[in-house]
Amino acid sequence: MEHVAVSEPHETAAASLTAPPRPPAPAAEPVLELRGVTKRFGGAIALTEVDFDLLPGEIHGLVGENGAGKSTLMKILAGVHAPDDGVFIFRGEPVRFHAPAEAKARGIGMIYQELTVMPALTVAENVFLGRQPTNRFGLIDWKRMQAEAAAHLRELGIDIDVTEPMKKLSLGSQQLVEIARVVFSGAQVIILDEPTSALSGPEAERLFALMRELRDRGKSLIFISHFLEDILAISDRVTVLKNSRKVATLPNQGLTKHRLIELMIGGDASSLAASYEQGRTLPPPVTTKPVLEIEGLAAPGAFTDITLKVHAGEILGLFGYLGAGMTELARALFGRQPVQRGTIRLEGQPIAPSSPLEAKRLGIAYLTENRRATLFPRHEIYKNITLAHLDRLVPALFRHTAELSIADRLVKRTGVRPGDPTMRAGHLSGGNQQKVVLAKWLAQQPKVLILNEPTRGMDVGAKREVLDLIQELKQEGVAIILISTEPETVLAESDRILVLSRGRITKEFVNERVSKDLLMSYA
Amino acid sequence: MAQTVPSGVSVGRASPGLWNRLLALAGRNARMIAPLTTLVAMFIFFSVVTDVFLTTRNLQNVITQIGPVAVAAAGVTFVLLCAEIDLSIASIATFAGVLCAYFWTEGRIPVVGWEMNFFPEVSLFGWEVTLPIGILIAALVAAGLGLLNGFLVSYVGIPSFMMTLAMLTIGAGLAKYVSTGKVISEVPSQLEYLGGAGNRILWNTVPVIGVVALAVLIICDIILSYTKFGRYVYMTGGNREAAEMSGVNTRKVVMICLMISGLTAGLAGLLFIGRLHSANPAAGGELLIRTIAAVVLGGTSLFGGEGGIKNTVVGLLIFGVLSNGLNLLPNISIYFKDALEGIILVAALLLNVLALRLEKVQTRTE
Repeated sequence: MEHVAVSEPHETAAASLTAPPRPPAPAAEPVLELRGVTKRFGGAIALTEVDFDLLPGEIHGLVGENGAGKSTLMKILAGVHAPDDGVFIFRGEPVRFHAPAEAKARGIGMIYQELTVMPALTVAENVFLGRQPTNRFGLIDWKRMQAEAAAHLRELGIDIDVTEPMKKLSLGSQQLVEIARVVFSGAQVIILDEPTSALSGPEAERLFALMRELRDRGKSLIFISHFLEDILAISDRVTVLKNSRKVATLPNQGLTKHRLIELMIGGDASSLAASYEQGRTLPPPVTTKPVLEIEGLAAPGAFTDITLKVHAGEILGLFGYLGAGMTELARALFGRQPVQRGTIRLEGQPIAPSSPLEAKRLGIAYLTENRRATLFPRHEIYKNITLAHLDRLVPALFRHTAELSIADRLVKRTGVRPGDPTMRAGHLSGGNQQKVVLAKWLAQQPKVLILNEPTRGMDVGAKREVLDLIQELKQEGVAIILISTEPETVLAESDRILVLSRGRITKEFVNERVSKDLLMSYA
Repeated sequence: MAQTVPSGVSVGRASPGLWNRLLALAGRNARMIAPLTTLVAMFIFFSVVTDVFLTTRNLQNVITQIGPVAVAAAGVTFVLLCAEIDLSIASIATFAGVLCAYFWTEGRIPVVGWEMNFFPEVSLFGWEVTLPIGILIAALVAAGLGLLNGFLVSYVGIPSFMMTLAMLTIGAGLAKYVSTGKVISEVPSQLEYLGGAGNRILWNTVPVIGVVALAVLIICDIILSYTKFGRYVYMTGGNREAAEMSGVNTRKVVMICLMISGLTAGLAGLLFIGRLHSANPAAGGELLIRTIAAVVLGGTSLFGGEGGIKNTVVGLLIFGVLSNGLNLLPNISIYFKDALEGIILVAALLLNVLALRLEKVQTRTE
């Protein structure tokens, strides 16, 4: 039936976004169905008797906290794991995939958060990856490949020069190419894992346009995301998972973020939801001495003319999209990005950190946006925690017992779970890994703490814990810079907010009412 | 989202059985268990199959044979732990040996020709002793070459593979240059005592070279396990970017590791000439393969961050037992023994890889 759908793509393109399963076939048979699927890993249970169905021509949102089972569900569909119990029905017949390649061959395509594009190859080569057309000599037919790749992208409404190397494209464009490739290789079912988490607003809009286009061509899409607005903006139906079980599958009509959060975490979430939806009034400016003062700081190609102050016991929020220059600014403060002009003062003294080591010694701590660049997954939690301040924590020759007790205290303070400091850090969930990285910087109280996307990709509960900890540090007098591309985070936690766009500060909010729309309008 | 099992999952009902617990234990120590198993299996095999293997005299042989390799392996462990490689150890060893023998026989600095007393006799508290200055200088030169490796790798950015490959040629060339290609057949008597095959202490049972090697290994283990520098080595190898972002001076760490490797290679070369009672500029090439093989056999990762001196000790013993045992086996063509040694090493490495799979399974179920 999916072939039918492909042959008549455009006539129903105008159907509203929120329309549940649409024609061709009314009460269409699902493309894919799970019945009573259970999956265990050793003694741990990841999915419990989950039913799930995907209709032709629908975008199906999948939400749940970290650990609710989204990843496992997705991996079963993509052939990475096989279910322990239950049935997987694909196009009307039960299937059992033993490898991702089998699922791929049957038309189930997967777009992971980490893209699998070849950065050095051109767009056209990426679209044709592994299946390049050849001429009669058996060599790659470049002209045909480029023409076909261009035609294919145009058909999907993607306007990209196919002769460009992939690495020159923005992340958003690379993602579009990857999706196009999956479609081109014949996928009927496309699973997207957190596709919007690294995209700017306009880029996400382009992604949504492509997703709608694919839906209107009869493809079925599963859209996994922590961004509930995104889920609500584009899904036809939404399935909510909680603690390895399915809570509900609902048509996206009259569904609100509040309702989704309620279903995801159970219980009453009204206060939490309120802070998401409405604006907030920022407090009056603090009167403590400024700890960090930046004046006219500029780094070519990254940011220009940045002037700001952060006081003790204050959280300065920086909001902007990717490419606003916030990460580069943080790296400049941490000695990882050379600057061309401007001054940085710490407690009145001019500083010019040229390495993380120097910045650390000055009392600056930086939590990067990239957890892979901060965590030692194969090493124990305590080694992760003590590393940054090892020189002050232990004597020249030390035994691990002393170190363990220091780490233990920090594990308790940051609420890492499970709280066993001898466990390998890679075994923790994302939220708890972030707590470990935060704990590392708390072994010695920093003067300035720079947090770049401290809660990205975390579930609601872990997010709250990390944010509470940040508030606690503020109370203790740390000057905090909170950088995020999520307006909610900046909005809810900051005392003052700066909005950045294309490397410049476009707006400062102090002691006034500010809302999400207002923030975004300056970014 | 990176880990395989979500954190919120509930734990299954029954407590894990004994088998599961054993599996978990094995999984957690996979890096040690496979090499240890190999070692025990080989030890038992050669003890049963040959009459000679399990005799004091032969075990002394095993120790004497692996002595120089053990010293070099201790330093190479540092380099592999921070995810670099040192291919120059064998030629640095040869050069240090030749240089020291030259000091001993010629009493001059090579090339410039300045005369110097490298082994002055002095009286200390009434004891007549020979100060081994020549030995110290040779060791320092080896450390200096290692430091040069380290500087060019860390601060200039030449990949360690290429840099130490070039140093391999330089070291071999210098050895040839200093000795004018000839074997120097006289070496310092102190080295003959430390490295010599027949010298034993403790009621004439333990080879001196074994004690020397053990001392080097213990010092290196203390550095790696109980000092900050050691921790920095592991963390630099585990995730260099993250180590740097934690304020670790990873360049310095890598540089010092390569320097240590140069120093231990030099010491190995000095012991080597002591054992052979001569310094041959063309000898010692097999030290490179043996050393790296021993470290990797012990389970230290070529990708950094995991393993350590304890693993290296096991790897060294596997290597020593294997090459010694194979020589004792009757009915095997001596021409086939090298190939057989290689094949058995592959089998042992295979076992290591399989054990690490077990560890991954463990990771998934934890």
